[in-house]
Amino acid sequence: MTSADFLSEVGPMHGWAMATAAVVSAAAAMVGTLLVVRRMSLLGDAISHAVLPGIVVAVLAGGRPGGPLVIVGAVVAALVTVWLTQVLRDGVGVAEDAGAGVVFTTLFALGVVLVTAAASRIDLDPGCILYGILELVPFDTISVGRWNVPRAFLTGLAVLVLIGLGLLVTWRLQVFVAFDADAARAAGMPVAAATLSLLAATAMTAVAGFEAVGAILVVAMLVVPAAAAELLGRRLSRVMAMAVALGVVGSVLGYLAAWKWNTNAAGMIAVVLGVEYAMAVIFAPEEGLLARGIGQIWLRWRVACEDQLAAVWRREEAAGTGLAAAAAPHGFIDRLARAWLAMAGRLRRVDGEWTLDPRARPAAEMIVRSHRLWEAWLGRHAELPVDHLHPPAEWMEHHLGADVRRQIEADLGWQASDPHGSEIPPER
Amino acid sequence: MTSAVGYLSCLAAIDLSGLLAYNTLIVAAGTAAVGCAAGVVGSLSVLRKRALVGDAAAHVTLVGVATAFALTGRRDLPTLLAGGFAAALAGLLVLVVMRRYTRTRDDAATAIVLSVGFGGGIALVAGMTARGIPGSAGLENFLLGHTAALTARDAGVLAGVSLATVVVVMLFLKEATLVAFDRSFAAAAGWPVAVVDYLLVVLVAVMVVVGLPAAGAVLVTALVVIPPVAARQWTDRLGTMLVLAGVIGLVSAVTGVAISAVVPRLATGPVIVLVAAAIFAISVLFTRWRSPREAA
Repeated sequence: MTSADFLSEVGPMHGWAMATAAVVSAAAAMVGTLLVVRRMSLLGDAISHAVLPGIVVAVLAGGRPGGPLVIVGAVVAALVTVWLTQVLRDGVGVAEDAGAGVVFTTLFALGVVLVTAAASRIDLDPGCILYGILELVPFDTISVGRWNVPRAFLTGLAVLVLIGLGLLVTWRLQVFVAFDADAARAAGMPVAAATLSLLAATAMTAVAGFEAVGAILVVAMLVVPAAAAELLGRRLSRVMAMAVALGVVGSVLGYLAAWKWNTNAAGMIAVVLGVEYAMAVIFAPEEGLLARGIGQIWLRWRVACEDQLAAVWRREEAAGTGLAAAAAPHGFIDRLARAWLAMAGRLRRVDGEWTLDPRARPAAEMIVRSHRLWEAWLGRHAELPVDHLHPPAEWMEHHLGADVRRQIEADLGWQASDPHGSEIPPER
Repeated sequence: MTSAVGYLSCLAAIDLSGLLAYNTLIVAAGTAAVGCAAGVVGSLSVLRKRALVGDAAAHVTLVGVATAFALTGRRDLPTLLAGGFAAALAGLLVLVVMRRYTRTRDDAATAIVLSVGFGGGIALVAGMTARGIPGSAGLENFLLGHTAALTARDAGVLAGVSLATVVVVMLFLKEATLVAFDRSFAAAAGWPVAVVDYLLVVLVAVMVVVGLPAAGAVLVTALVVIPPVAARQWTDRLGTMLVLAGVIGLVSAVTGVAISAVVPRLATGPVIVLVAAAIFAISVLFTRWRSPREAA
């Protein structure tokens, strides 16, 4: 099956379902980015459970699912959750996570019981609450002009626009509060208002996501793309943009995967978002496991090569003075590095001893220079015993550039030898 | 008791014959043991400030339950729960790996494991149901809890595991207490702090798994959080708190099973949670009224 066949088979109805998932996911990713950087992810979890009784009561009071009354009900439930958690923390002395655990499980349980009790009067069932019915979203439509647009899509779009506008207007405040709430408070910023609006936005997202993907998978849309994007960048605006992109792509791919394998769309969307996160963990350009692994291997290799060159330089120096030099490191990687240096023509075997090729001599000498300068500098400033100077220098020798070496030398007043009495080679 | 049953039946005008059936009584006893043990284990994890560690494990169990069913084709409780336990441990391991190797903070990591694991479980269950695999529809009972489907043998297994867990807690109570109250002192005094921490997390995972049939993956975390927090209102002594949390968990579980047995289509989990929450609310109000304290 080609991809074109696959898409035409998927059809326009599925297009609406995917569009709904995408708008909800985009809104959730924007809110979620702020929740994640403010370490409020679990509050997002708690709120997406706790809005249930608010929604049910609003529906029982005559609100349409996804309508304004239901959104108000959900926002009230979210605020009650946060307020109760704070009362439990400040008034009763219950730790914050335990308090949240008490409040959101209780509210969710209340919601489930209400749904069960009012099953004949409202159009919600416990299964739908947990994992939504994205597949049925296209069949509940409202006519807008000439089109029949799914109601859930309109709700999602409205929430997306509202949250997007809210962010545009309060962006600088949100950034300030996200990174340093105390400083923002000290600067007279309305921190409480920023937090409250974030909570309200979380509740609205939960409502928009509730019908489409259910309570728990809203959590996936809130937190997973944001956490993945956080591994890919540092600027908040860029992290948020990437979170939105990951959320939208994940929603579409997840829906298609669910369609192909004939299973629940919301569940598959969560799984695909999880895969995106795992890929970010592995492949992120700067802090991915792969990049960090390669960086570490490369550093280890460079250190091994430099150690071999420096050891040969010292042996040659010792041969001149008649003293014995320390043996070169001979672990597996060290021997591999030596073999590589020999192959590249940097080291030569002459009369059973390794000698430096003239091309490799300057590099080797500068490593020894770094080493001895660092020992001398530590010896003067760090008040370490003389026999403790070697290990730190053995590490620092690989990290000192020409500029730093000159600065150290100037600080030492052009001292000619290190604390062990060895001559410090001049800069080349 | 009889009058209470009569009152309930008048109130709800429901057939109560199911309530006193032999199977219901056995199941109630098994669930009571689970509620009691969850209260005891949960007390330690709440004191250790790890109240929500069970929540991630609980949601992930669904993947394991569905996988165990898909692989073995069996739907007897021990098989499914073994799968759930394996998945819970895997989820906790993922959390450890994320903490060690990524910049993602603990709260986000918990939410990720919880929601992705739950999504995977839902996708597996829905996929099997859509393929008409017999028995897969029953897996949904693990979402919100449904004790009516349990057999006497299942109840025996649940009670046995719960009892074993309580015994383990009693065996390492001294170590766990020290680690919960003063981790640095315990470490300095040479206690195996990390081992105690891991053991505690594994015990919470065990309780979350045996709590699944009663409370369901979504709400089972309440079994290890609410009774301990309620018990804490009454006492400052650990021994008293453990016993009280056990009793509150037991009462909540039995009441939940009884109510959901007489009300058609009402899942057990939410009822157990609401009963526990009511006991917590009463505990807070009564202890405040008895001796009003300054806000902590």
